[in-house]
Amino acid sequence: MRQLLLSRAWIAGYALLAIAILAVPVAIDDPYLLNKFARYLIFATLAVALSLSWGYTGILNLGQAVSFGLGSYCMAMALKLKTMPIQTGTGGLPDFMVWNNVPSLPWFWQPFHSIGVAIAAGIAVPVGLALILGWFIFRARVAGVYVSIITLALLVIINLLIIDQQRFTGGFNGLTDLSDLQVMGIDFDPYSAATYYLAAGALILSLIVGLAIINSKTGLIMQAIRDDETRVRYFGYDVAAYQIFALSVSAGISGVAGMLYAVVMAFASPTFLSVQLSLSIVIWCAVGGRASLIGAAIGALLVTGIQGSLSETPIFLNTWLLIMGALFVAVVLLLPKGLISLVQSAITLFSRPVADRTATPVNKTMVG
Amino acid sequence: MVEAFNQILNGLSIASILLLVSLGLAIIYGSMGVINLAHGDFLMLGAYAVWFLQSTFGIGLLPCLGLVFVIVGLVGWAIERTLIRHLYGRPLDTLLATWGIGIILQQAIRLSAGAELRYVKMPDYLINPINLFGTDISAYRLMIFGVTLALLVATYLLIFRSNFGMRLRAVTQNAEISRCFGINVSQVYALTFAYGAGLAGLAGALVSPLKSVSPDMGTGYVVDAFLVVVMGGVQSLFGTVASAGMLGQLSTWFAFVSNDTLARALVFSLVLVMIRFRPQGLFVTQVRRG
Repeated sequence: MRQLLLSRAWIAGYALLAIAILAVPVAIDDPYLLNKFARYLIFATLAVALSLSWGYTGILNLGQAVSFGLGSYCMAMALKLKTMPIQTGTGGLPDFMVWNNVPSLPWFWQPFHSIGVAIAAGIAVPVGLALILGWFIFRARVAGVYVSIITLALLVIINLLIIDQQRFTGGFNGLTDLSDLQVMGIDFDPYSAATYYLAAGALILSLIVGLAIINSKTGLIMQAIRDDETRVRYFGYDVAAYQIFALSVSAGISGVAGMLYAVVMAFASPTFLSVQLSLSIVIWCAVGGRASLIGAAIGALLVTGIQGSLSETPIFLNTWLLIMGALFVAVVLLLPKGLISLVQSAITLFSRPVADRTATPVNKTMVG
Repeated sequence: MVEAFNQILNGLSIASILLLVSLGLAIIYGSMGVINLAHGDFLMLGAYAVWFLQSTFGIGLLPCLGLVFVIVGLVGWAIERTLIRHLYGRPLDTLLATWGIGIILQQAIRLSAGAELRYVKMPDYLINPINLFGTDISAYRLMIFGVTLALLVATYLLIFRSNFGMRLRAVTQNAEISRCFGINVSQVYALTFAYGAGLAGLAGALVSPLKSVSPDMGTGYVVDAFLVVVMGGVQSLFGTVASAGMLGQLSTWFAFVSNDTLARALVFSLVLVMIRFRPQGLFVTQVRRG
């Protein structure tokens, strides 16, 4: 009974968030603001992805931006090729390849003439990388901080590689001057409501997928792994398989977020795979509450929203990183479960008179 | 033949820098269980300290070293006293908190010293290369090699031959029982952290003339340092030395056939493959968990 009530409270929370997100374009007609909000929604999707692996499975992936960046490059490659008639060298080469004396379109660029392939790749490439990485580290029973260090190293190295291979990736500048994404006759102009709804849809979908996973048996085992890996192993479960699954799902969602980000920003650059972005994702999750999908999403919306409004004043533009760092340290020290833990305890208090008093506390993290 | 010898010397030079950068990290992690992601930023502080002392007071690089060690060590000590000491036994939280601290340090430097690249002058008497067995080798790199060796010996003596080292090793084995024997555990931790931070500062000071100095220079170094520590195994000073040596040689040889970035990617892939088959590190015979 009590668990049911708690579930209802959380479902109401999720529904409210979804409605609020979808209602934004009705209230706001400013294309610039819509574009900005679409960016925040994409960041929230990223936070949800990290929450699945970090908050629910105990895999602190400091290289979350790898999946995000790879997704964005996949989309950007396709959108770059769509600009062909305007910016072209001989044989329809992207402009930066002409500048770098690349004779013809490299083989791995060829499939990206098709948007469908690009979208598939934007998910498949990050997931594939996560599968390989997961196989190496989780099959070796590497756990905890080692996972974090390895994912961080991976991030730094892929970032360097992309900058280094300027001939094929555009180097520091990345892929710029992209065309709009056009699917099924809809033109996703970065400043349109259509693009906003695309980002909103991705966030809501990722929340639904995430909820479905964490409320399934698989999700229960993931949380058990987070709490005590060894015990789960003693029960006979293949711990590594679940960890690889969580890392891959998280990578897939991040890939989708990355693709959308390329559409919304109309470029892709190595900053999408920066250590700073990865750190930001961790901070959003930590502030909102990593062991709660909605907490992570709201954490991202809150922090990026505040950042967006503060960075318009020059004083805060410089001190923002200081504030962010201090906020992060404070949350780690004082509120390890994030802001959502305040809400969780409030709901528990509120539901107590209604519910069976003798009931043992339920695991609230499962639903929320 | 001369070419190969040259490559080996290059590898040794890179290895000595790697060891220099990872020594402090290894000590802090190995004995305190703190994952110090701000290590790279301590290194950056060291580089800026040299730049500041050199450009403001005109002090040469080598006379600066002692001062830099003390300054960065003090910063480390203050951070341990205010923040890290609340986080013992929670390695993941130390990682997060030190990441936040790193960002704060970076931004503080960016605001006070400026975001532009800074350059530190190499001492005049070390600019000319020295001819060693028929190949020219940079005197400065030779000096780094010497300093690294000296620091290694000093660290060995400090940990295995001094009273403080004995207390540190006791605390590493069991902090509770050490406390019962009257060892001031929190003081040992604070000094160890300060020592590790000081070493990072020295590393930063020594690498500063080789590359430009910038607020985010630490990130690359901290990743390299972690690769060294992960490869060598966390609780072995010997492992750190051996793994720095191996990675140094590997990087030079890979870089010889490709370029620096591809070499780093290759080295990382190798470390990843190594972890799959020997997760406890290459040079650890006994695994202690918990």
